[in-house]
Amino acid sequence: MKLKEVDRTAMQAWSPAQNHPIYLATGTSAQQLDATFSTNASLEIFELDLSDPSLDMKSCATFSSSHRYHKLIWGPYKMDSKGDVSGVLIAGGENGNIILYDPSKIIAGDKEVVIAQNDKHTGPVRALDVNIFQTNLVASGANESEIYIWDLNNFATPMTPGAKTQPPEDISCIAWNRQVQHILASASPSGRATVWDLRKNEPIIKVSDHSNRMHCSGLAWHPDVATQMVLASEDDRLPVIQMWDLRFASSPLRVLENHARGILAIAWSMADPELLLSCGKDAKILCSNPNTGEVLYELPTNTQWCFDIQWCPRNPAVLSAASFDGRISVYSIMGGSTDGLRQKQVDKLSSSFGNLDPFGTGQPLPPLQIPQQTAQHSIVLPLKKPPKWIRRPVGASFSFGGKLVTFENVRMPSHQGAEQQQQQHHVFISQVVTEKEFLSRSDQLQQAVQSQGFISYCQKKIDASQTEFEKNVWSFLKVNFEDDSRGKYLELLGYRKEDLGKKHIKEEKEESEFLPSSGGTFNISVSGDIDGLITQALLTGNFESAVDLCLHDNRMADAIILAIAGGQELLARTQKKYFAKSQSKITRLITAVVMKNWKEIVESCDLKNWREALAAVLTYAKPDEFSALCDLLGTRLENEGDSLLQTQACLCYICAGNVEKLVACWTKAQDGSHPLSLQDLIEKVVILRKAVQLTQAMDTSTVGVLLAAKMSQYANLLAAQGSIAAALAFLPDNTNQPNIMQLRDRLCRAQGEPVAGHESPKIPYEEQQLPKGRPGPVAGHHQMPRVQTQQYYPHVRIAPTVTTWSNKTPTALPSHPPAACASDTQGENPPPPGFIMHGNVNPNAAGQLPTSPGHMHTQVPPYPQPQPYQPAQPYPFGTGGSAMYRPQQPVAPPTSNAYPNTPYISSASSYTGQSQLYAAQHQASSPTSSPATSFPPPPSSGASFQHGGPGAPPSSSAYALPPGTTGPQNGWNDPPALNRVPKKKKMPENFMPPVPITSPIMNPLGDPQSQMLQQQPSAPVPLSSQSSFPQPHLPGGQHFHGIQQPLGQTGMPPSFSKPNIEGAPGAPIGNTFQHVQSLPTKKITKKPIPDEHLILKTTFEDLIQRCLSSATDPQTKRKLDDASKRLEFLYDKLREQTLSPTITSGLHNIARSIETRNYSEGLTMHTHIVSTSNFSETSAFMPVLKVVLTQANKLGV
Amino acid sequence: MREPVLTWCVPLELLCSHPLPVSAFLKTQVKLYTYRACAGKDEMGKMVSVINTVDTSHEDMIHDAQMDYYGTRLATCSSDRSVKIFDVRNGGQILIADLRGHEGPVWQVAWAHPMYGNILASCSYDRKVIIWREENGTWEKSHEHAGHDSSVNSVCWAPQDYGLILACGSSDGAISLLTYTGEGQWEVKKINNAHTIGCNAVSWAPAVVPGSLIDQPSGQKPNYIKRFASGGCDNLIKLWKEEEDGQWKEEQKLEAHSDWVRDVAWAPSIGLPTSTIASCSQDGRVFIWTCDDVSSNTWSPKLLHKFNDVVWHVSWSITANILAVSGGDNKVTLWKESVDGQWVCISDVNKGQGSVSASVTEGQQNEQ
Repeated sequence: MKLKEVDRTAMQAWSPAQNHPIYLATGTSAQQLDATFSTNASLEIFELDLSDPSLDMKSCATFSSSHRYHKLIWGPYKMDSKGDVSGVLIAGGENGNIILYDPSKIIAGDKEVVIAQNDKHTGPVRALDVNIFQTNLVASGANESEIYIWDLNNFATPMTPGAKTQPPEDISCIAWNRQVQHILASASPSGRATVWDLRKNEPIIKVSDHSNRMHCSGLAWHPDVATQMVLASEDDRLPVIQMWDLRFASSPLRVLENHARGILAIAWSMADPELLLSCGKDAKILCSNPNTGEVLYELPTNTQWCFDIQWCPRNPAVLSAASFDGRISVYSIMGGSTDGLRQKQVDKLSSSFGNLDPFGTGQPLPPLQIPQQTAQHSIVLPLKKPPKWIRRPVGASFSFGGKLVTFENVRMPSHQGAEQQQQQHHVFISQVVTEKEFLSRSDQLQQAVQSQGFISYCQKKIDASQTEFEKNVWSFLKVNFEDDSRGKYLELLGYRKEDLGKKHIKEEKEESEFLPSSGGTFNISVSGDIDGLITQALLTGNFESAVDLCLHDNRMADAIILAIAGGQELLARTQKKYFAKSQSKITRLITAVVMKNWKEIVESCDLKNWREALAAVLTYAKPDEFSALCDLLGTRLENEGDSLLQTQACLCYICAGNVEKLVACWTKAQDGSHPLSLQDLIEKVVILRKAVQLTQAMDTSTVGVLLAAKMSQYANLLAAQGSIAAALAFLPDNTNQPNIMQLRDRLCRAQGEPVAGHESPKIPYEEQQLPKGRPGPVAGHHQMPRVQTQQYYPHVRIAPTVTTWSNKTPTALPSHPPAACASDTQGENPPPPGFIMHGNVNPNAAGQLPTSPGHMHTQVPPYPQPQPYQPAQPYPFGTGGSAMYRPQQPVAPPTSNAYPNTPYISSASSYTGQSQLYAAQHQASSPTSSPATSFPPPPSSGASFQHGGPGAPPSSSAYALPPGTTGPQNGWNDPPALNRVPKKKKMPENFMPPVPITSPIMNPLGDPQSQMLQQQPSAPVPLSSQSSFPQPHLPGGQHFHGIQQPLGQTGMPPSFSKPNIEGAPGAPIGNTFQHVQSLPTKKITKKPIPDEHLILKTTFEDLIQRCLSSATDPQTKRKLDDASKRLEFLYDKLREQTLSPTITSGLHNIARSIETRNYSEGLTMHTHIVSTSNFSETSAFMPVLKVVLTQANKLGV
Repeated sequence: MREPVLTWCVPLELLCSHPLPVSAFLKTQVKLYTYRACAGKDEMGKMVSVINTVDTSHEDMIHDAQMDYYGTRLATCSSDRSVKIFDVRNGGQILIADLRGHEGPVWQVAWAHPMYGNILASCSYDRKVIIWREENGTWEKSHEHAGHDSSVNSVCWAPQDYGLILACGSSDGAISLLTYTGEGQWEVKKINNAHTIGCNAVSWAPAVVPGSLIDQPSGQKPNYIKRFASGGCDNLIKLWKEEEDGQWKEEQKLEAHSDWVRDVAWAPSIGLPTSTIASCSQDGRVFIWTCDDVSSNTWSPKLLHKFNDVVWHVSWSITANILAVSGGDNKVTLWKESVDGQWVCISDVNKGQGSVSASVTEGQQNEQ
């Protein structure tokens, strides 16, 4: 492909390879006149600017010369490494002169550009070459066998390579050997080539084929092989290129006969020895492989002969050719289309008419349509074989898990075939580990978690702390694992109860000294003064007036004392009045203490006093409001405080156990980009989460957005260091955050887990979620489709079949953590499933609402399960899309009386009952469907979430699996949709309320969810998970996934991620406070536990007591205490008789094993129950039971 | 290093039979320099350890080797015109597929994200791009793109968020973008004359808009702007951006190299607002380009190192903190940015497979 052209009849020389940019020097050719018949001569320098698409070459300089040239070369003599324009232009003139020019001066426009000149030759100097090893050595050849070696350092006196050859002949070519610096070859049109050894100062070999027709026009040494050279002949009778090897100098090694007429010039590529250019009188420019003779490429040229051809030394794909029609053309041998070029010319043409906008209209000219007839010719094919310089010999690419894939192709020192066979084509996979400290710290953390040695871990951290703050943080964290954590917190804040006590006593003593002795008689005055009035009031028992009077008289103490006698109400009022009046410094504190209004303190204290405020909260706040208050304080510090206080907020969050906020606060303060600083954070987070788990008996497995981001970043870092197992261990177990789920899948697969269903890439995530080592499906236990796939296939559409299955899987709650991977390292964590709230918005369900007559409930969307019972139900059970869920459907026949056919026509209040019925119904195999009062809205909503929610899971599964297939269904189990259940455990401790379901917003429990549920249908925001997966422009999804969904729908459930996050226990961003405050709920009377199950309670309680009595570790004690509380759930369920017979009988088995003190057997049974039962049914108490059994086993009671 | 001409003496006979050219000697010394350019030799080998050596049985030069998304499968391609896929889990090597279809050396392979199935693209000197796909355990040619007039040197899949889009850079100077439109159909867009005399490399920008992890409000649909970088024989790096009308427009020219740009690699996003691109060139230089604000589009180069040979390939680690640089002297070095912003060589990847000749070792000893 032609790149550039210059209209000159000239000799040409490329700038040396070192030079950048690339220049082309041209010197007016001595051989012929150009069209103007001008006898002027000039030396010009052009720049090759490939970023300019036009055919023009940029002229840099023109120097008018008195000489015309036979030969022009550009040597790198004295060229500095910076590659500035330099070197030397060496010209061979007509009159035996050799002229040295300074190209940098030419470009600079200098007048004195000639470095030196020598006229020693007698005739035209046609041959010049620079020694590539010693660039100061130049060889020249002229008539009469004249060959001179010039040292540019000493230009005046040239050397000769030896005695002149006889008979005298013109030297047409001269060339230094490319491998051996003292070997020189010359050739003449008479046909002979002579090889000179400068060391010996004589010709060492003469090459001639005896045909006498070799009129040498070209000579070139092999770039790599020292003993090989080619000779080209310009005789039309013998238009050949001969390849000679000096070791066999009797005849040519190879003869290339590709030209039809005499060859005028040749050029051998230094970049690839298999490329030899030749141009001849047949007007062809050919590129051949001199080693095989094959023509690799024919340049598209016009019909003019070229008399000079040169490879560009710097850009191996570029060559220039000077033709007799007065043009120098620059070509690329890489082929390519000239369309673009032509377009550029057209553009240029247009631009000469005023920059595309001739009339200043602001409108460019319309594009010119180029005739297509030349299309065929516009494509120039590249070389037949790839040139060496594009064959990448080496490579190293990173891949997942810190692996580095490298390959190399060991360079053969020469091209002899024997050695090539040894070449081995290996690829190396290496593990790259760069963060050793990070890994070892991560390892320590993991060990601490596994061994539960939190206290010692924290202590180590305290000891190693560099800063006071760091020390504080770790001290606070440590306290979490100790007895009397609040007291310890106080100590850390600088308040010691004992100290205070001492101080107080001292003061008391002092005071007592001044106490006036009381005694004697007193008289009751009823006079008209204040005293009298008070007396009167007292005498009449009118405390209120008495108090008023006292207050009025500013006798506060009297007033209060009287008010105490006057009863609670009066006291309260009096307190209020007192506080209103009193203005002392500590009044507000006293106010808060008396009124128990800690929120006030926390909200309005001076932030400098945050320690005091925190201390107050630590001392007084009730457990249920404690963390919210700490939280609030932390938030204030973070929002209002200066940078110092902002970091202190971390301490508040640690007290509050608010992991998410800790992360946020920490992240703000630290530069989290370095692995070790992330490690700093993760250490704290992990420990705090463990602490929260222990102390607040709350499941912390649900993580908020920020934490999830940090954890996945952490896991990514671990993975990048090759610690894939560790990465899996730290990755939050159950979150629906797409990036985490993707990472988990990636990690699992990277670990080399056997991937079943290898051939079904459409559902790449299902395998890893297959539960491992578990018995096959047991009646009553089935797994739900996962939601993850939905995030993975963001473009999936909701299957119309969704509603058909929504009722079908109430029992399909997962009873084990979904983590089939190495994530189960967290000891006795209760299985961390739960339900995902986001799922509850089934767009289909929502969409179908209108079809449900009389439907008035705003909260209906969360309860999509009735829809299958609508007459409009398109798929009868057992057909269509629902079929695939059939096998999982033990209680399939929905003939239960709990489902009236038209339940939703009824009013809101009746809905309550129904939903409870649903709830009951969800207790899969529960024989009696009595409402689950002990566990009211959550279970029902939870249950409903699982089917309604998903919206996505069914759809994803529906199309990820062809309808009717049964194989991979297991893959869709364990919906994260259930992930939230455990968090409920926290609240219901003493929480029994059958809260009116009709007002879910008021319901403290249902609060976050129902709010969310309500907003969802009305506010369909794109879900966040989707946000990272915009609908790819990929109808192709169908093709590759077998997706059978209509493409038209946007198909994503309305946003759920946000409310979801807020509802997370770890991240109660907005509603925690309110949430906690609304906790106190009145108790209702409990039913008795049925006699037959009473034994369970007595056994378990007895066991806990035994454990408690023998346990010494405060942590264990706390755990047991907590366990005994949480077992109330079990007892409640027993009271309500909502447990399935399998579970109750299993519990009885456990009880029996406890009685025989065979705890390991009990644990086995426990596992069995958990693995075979409905998760929501057992999640409230089974994990606790496990804790108790484990402890009992450990303690050996 | 270079001996003066007068002391130079090797008899011609010896010269003729000597298989090792003089320049080979020079080259070994070049290697030495590279050794010393890199920090602490003690670290070498500790950081990088070969865990699997795969004998590919390719019959000619290997030009690319890429692991899939999970790091469990290895795809290689070679001048022998074949593409091979190996299962390399647990240090093993099982040949899964030997894909034949190219009629010239195969330069690069690229795995598509697994969400689209098991898909591999390869490009070759035969001017074709082939998209291979595994179906029912068998790898087959799924699509062939013959829209280039010269060698196709580089293929790169767009971030999965955009769908299946493949960018291909060719020696004909054009870049083509293949977008899967379903039903086995691929839509082709072509940027003609992107790089005069050839495009050598293409690399997509990560899908995450820089900074989005930090300031983007959740729930708001991210505003992806598709971008990729290309490097070519015009010594330029160009950044391309998809306009709203779906046309690709040259957004930026990055000029620093003085010779062919051999490879460009856009660093994966790790949630920081800075965009980073690494480029390497025939001129031996590796540059790290950073841009703090994509909209302002001001990129500043920093020279990572000037090598003494062609640098063929640069590759970022997944966490974007380490750059692997493959040089023409068969050397792979790992680089990391230090706290003060300087790039430091943290390791020489020495496979110890005979790639370092004895003379180098001797030379080293002599140097010490």
